Amino acid sequence: MDLKQTLTHLESKLKEALKQTDKLETLQDIKAEYLGKKAELTLLMRHMKDVDAAERPVFGQTINAAKTRFTELIELRREALEAKRLEDRLNAEHIDVTLPGPDFRLGRPHVLNRIVMEIEDLFIGMGYIIKEGPEIESDAYNFEKLNLPKDHPARDMQDSFFITEERLLRTHTSPVQVRTMLEQGGRKPVKIICPGKVYRRDDDDATHSHQFMQIEGLVVDTNTTMADLKGTLLTVARAMFGEHRNIRLRPSYFPFTEPSVEVDVTCFKCNGNGCPMCKHTGYIEILGAGMVNDFVLSASGYDPSIYQGFAFGMGVERIAMLKYGIDDIRHFYTNDIRFLKQFST
Amino acid sequence: MNISMKWLKELIPCSISPEELGALFTVHSQEVARVEALVRAKGLTIGHVLTCRPHPQADSLRVCEVDVGDTVLGIVCGAPNVAAEQRVIVARPGAVLPGGITIEHTVIRGEASAGMICSLSELGIDYKYHHEDGIHVVRESVAPGSDALEALHFDDTVIGLDLTPNRADLLSMHGVAYDVAAMLDLPLTLPHVALETAGEPAVHIRTQTPRCLSYYGRVLKSIVIKPSPQFMQARLIAAGVRPINNVVDITNYVMLETGQPLHAFDYDALDSDTIVVREAEAGETFVTLDDKERTLHAGDILITNGREAVALGGVMGGAATEVTSHTTRLLLEAAVFDAMTVGKTSRRLDLRSESSLRFERKVDPEKTRYALDRATALFIEYANAEIVGDKGYFDDTSNIEPPIVISLEKINAVLGGRYSDEHVDAILKRLHLPFTRASNTYTIDRVSRRQDLLTYQDIIEEIGRISGYDQLPNTLPSTVAQGALSLRQQLRRRIRAALTGLGLDEVVTYSLQSVDRIGRFSTLHEAPVKVADPMTDLHAALIHTPLTGLYDVATHNAARRQHDVNIFELGTCYTAEQETERLAILMSGHHHYYRWQKTPTTDFYTLKGVFEALLDTLGLPAARYEPLRHEDFHPYQTARILLEGTPIGIIGKVHPKTTADDHLGDVFVLDVDVSILLEKSPDHAPYQPLQKYPSIERDLALVCDRTLPAETVLEAIKTQGGAALVHLDVFDVYTGEHLDENQKSLGLRLLFEDPEKTLESKTVDALVDKIVAHLKVTYGMFRR
Repeated sequence: MDLKQTLTHLESKLKEALKQTDKLETLQDIKAEYLGKKAELTLLMRHMKDVDAAERPVFGQTINAAKTRFTELIELRREALEAKRLEDRLNAEHIDVTLPGPDFRLGRPHVLNRIVMEIEDLFIGMGYIIKEGPEIESDAYNFEKLNLPKDHPARDMQDSFFITEERLLRTHTSPVQVRTMLEQGGRKPVKIICPGKVYRRDDDDATHSHQFMQIEGLVVDTNTTMADLKGTLLTVARAMFGEHRNIRLRPSYFPFTEPSVEVDVTCFKCNGNGCPMCKHTGYIEILGAGMVNDFVLSASGYDPSIYQGFAFGMGVERIAMLKYGIDDIRHFYTNDIRFLKQFST
Repeated sequence: MNISMKWLKELIPCSISPEELGALFTVHSQEVARVEALVRAKGLTIGHVLTCRPHPQADSLRVCEVDVGDTVLGIVCGAPNVAAEQRVIVARPGAVLPGGITIEHTVIRGEASAGMICSLSELGIDYKYHHEDGIHVVRESVAPGSDALEALHFDDTVIGLDLTPNRADLLSMHGVAYDVAAMLDLPLTLPHVALETAGEPAVHIRTQTPRCLSYYGRVLKSIVIKPSPQFMQARLIAAGVRPINNVVDITNYVMLETGQPLHAFDYDALDSDTIVVREAEAGETFVTLDDKERTLHAGDILITNGREAVALGGVMGGAATEVTSHTTRLLLEAAVFDAMTVGKTSRRLDLRSESSLRFERKVDPEKTRYALDRATALFIEYANAEIVGDKGYFDDTSNIEPPIVISLEKINAVLGGRYSDEHVDAILKRLHLPFTRASNTYTIDRVSRRQDLLTYQDIIEEIGRISGYDQLPNTLPSTVAQGALSLRQQLRRRIRAALTGLGLDEVVTYSLQSVDRIGRFSTLHEAPVKVADPMTDLHAALIHTPLTGLYDVATHNAARRQHDVNIFELGTCYTAEQETERLAILMSGHHHYYRWQKTPTTDFYTLKGVFEALLDTLGLPAARYEPLRHEDFHPYQTARILLEGTPIGIIGKVHPKTTADDHLGDVFVLDVDVSILLEKSPDHAPYQPLQKYPSIERDLALVCDRTLPAETVLEAIKTQGGAALVHLDVFDVYTGEHLDENQKSLGLRLLFEDPEKTLESKTVDALVDKIVAHLKVTYGMFRR
């Protein structure tokens, strides 16, 4: 047999062997058999020195060509087998993509705190500082310094939980305003909001709670006006209830402010046209406000002939109930999981 | 206060509709609760009953022929009091009664009935105002066919005001008229009273207490007790006051008109021409009009006839001197009593009335004499009264109050408006406030009918509200400041973000809980802070840990088959000395639920992992855990948490007996002090350069005594490993086969690094050998 015949024979043997194998592992053995140290091709190469010098280049080139060809054949088979193996693996990994994933639900901030944070952020943006204070307060800070002396009939309006004669659970966050003004020493301007828990003697029912959350605001400076109060509250109403809302100030009475007003927002359900939600008035009451009473300024160290200020206060539960249409204030404190889950972050 | 539109229009002629006026009240004065027709019925006619015969088919019915002016109608009537010759209210076919009931021609038991004879209740007038069981018999002689509502003065609309406590002036029609005059810029006409009296005072007034500021008394004789005129009854009903008889009605009518409460004594029963006002002594008793004996406190105001008490001043008259149907002589009282005293007495005795309300909010002392004279005139007109002598009185009220001074600049500076002096002049005139203006400074006299106007701020409110707050621009404060959250507020938000990110829902629970539950789940050994007078035992004391409420949340949800509860609260621990902020977590059931895949049930380590993740995200060092015994917790699954040696709280499994009693599964809770977290919270964690050289990892399986805490082993390894040991983790804990009962095997993963160079394997091997040798000597541990 001449060289060519030998190589052709070898090639058809190799092809047959490759065809027979369907495992990557045996492919390695085949490679050794046809291209390894003891392979026929390698042995033929060793015979090169016996070939005529003139024929040697052709002889060498032929064998090298065969070697390249054999390598290609093996690699082609390898690729095919690898592709097959991958396909088998993928087939085995078939899943039902319609099955649900694990319930990696994130928790939710409580809706009351969510509203508090929303309002805090709004006011931080307007340059307010968030102030807090104790819930067990003195009669002086909760009432007396706020123009509610011991026998004032308006104390009835917020019947309170006393602990001793002089200490009680605060009925509003206004004592934080007093504390802040006293801290400022009667000289520096004040621009704060005070969120927090407050307590009043109400029987718990769908619309009353002995504990609730309040946010109050206070600005004291030499030039703070009722128009500033109005503009500020309009900003709040629009941020909370939508940019097309308007507000209305109605005369009211609080011992700590003068003038005092109740603030209504145009009904966000009917746009002020009248509906059951706003009792056909077009307006919904959202908060109380006013210009700080001189007595309160004086009691907290501010000279009312120099300083004037505005204050406002709103119930967080009320805002949440209006905003989300929640029908029972007790839900906030019962914390049924089905309730908690409803308010997205 | 309920305003009768008809009455108001008598005081202030205006054509405004009740709805429009209500809207103005809301914006300029007081909140309007309702605007309602006094009687919501249409098509009612006065009828004259010509004949009345029994119904042939029904004993309880009558068949009447009723003249209704243009025709005579046959009407079947069920009322037992119907009779011929009566004037009655007829709802003819087509008439509409309250509730939208339309009257039609009907046949009742074979007799045609063309309408209905009405009772007052059928007109929508509450029974409490008339106490009439049958049809209403009209007393006035009105022509048949007249409009019934008009004839009975029921053609009225009521505006109900929700009054704020400062506006005592609006507790009278006069006061309301003043406010309406200001709102509408109209003149008002209050009734003028001119009485002719002569002679010596018929009664002598003495007072022994400063709590009686003034007292006017007038004696009237030849009184005839009868029903008051219909117009008066209708107005009382509109105001929400029940008509009784002419004497009582006139006192109430004048009170509603002027705001001055009046009282009428039976002068014969009084049996004295002297009235002495004094303060009660503690424990003194007095029988009030309602025949109840009241025990008095020192300082309550008593009206006496010089011997015994006859009235509790400003609160209620006495049973002994009550006006009866036989009364012929009256002593009419118009007085001013101390507001605070009347308020206290009426509250304490739970005797709050229209009178006490007005005294409590302060009556207008300048109206007292007017009210006495006005009532006298009405008694003459409607009760046949004759005046006896002159009135007796004592009056210590004074109206010499300094005027209020305010500049136009201040008004605008406070309101933020640009009002002119002409505008302010006009508003003050509309309010009938006497003032003078020099340049831009106003001097405003105090008026007794507006006792709420005390300071310049009150005047600003008047200018603001009558002008309308909608007139003010919307501006923002010019005060410039940097808005910010405090570090504590920031930390709170970071905790909230981390824990919600870890799948926990935030809750808010009550701070007040029952006393016996306060110490629960708490390591604080202090008496709870109790509310002096709790509304219920359920909310009687302040919590030591929010866990009290969180446990209730778990119970509530479990009862609703919601067993996967993962919640936290940022709450407070209240003690007598201080309030400290606490973070409480409760986990029960499953944390992340894997649905059709295998879900691990929450255990101690789930909660611990959540807390460790929280500490990590806050940049805080890892906490240490010391086994702890606490009666509310599982004895062997509870630990005290320490942060850098400081105890910060507790973590553990709620005692299985407790959870079983409450039908709960395993419940794991944690309660830590937020302030310490804040204290230890670093401003920012220092940057760690990234490791340049490869690290070497070694796994060890070491057998030790089962009770040896992992922490002990880990600490020993850390000490032995030195700086090169950068990470150490427990990846397996094994007990069981191939080990003794009291042995366990810990699978530990150690990671070594050298920041300066590539570590050599033999260096690490030497370190590991050293560690193992140490553990063997110290704890008898060996490689598995």
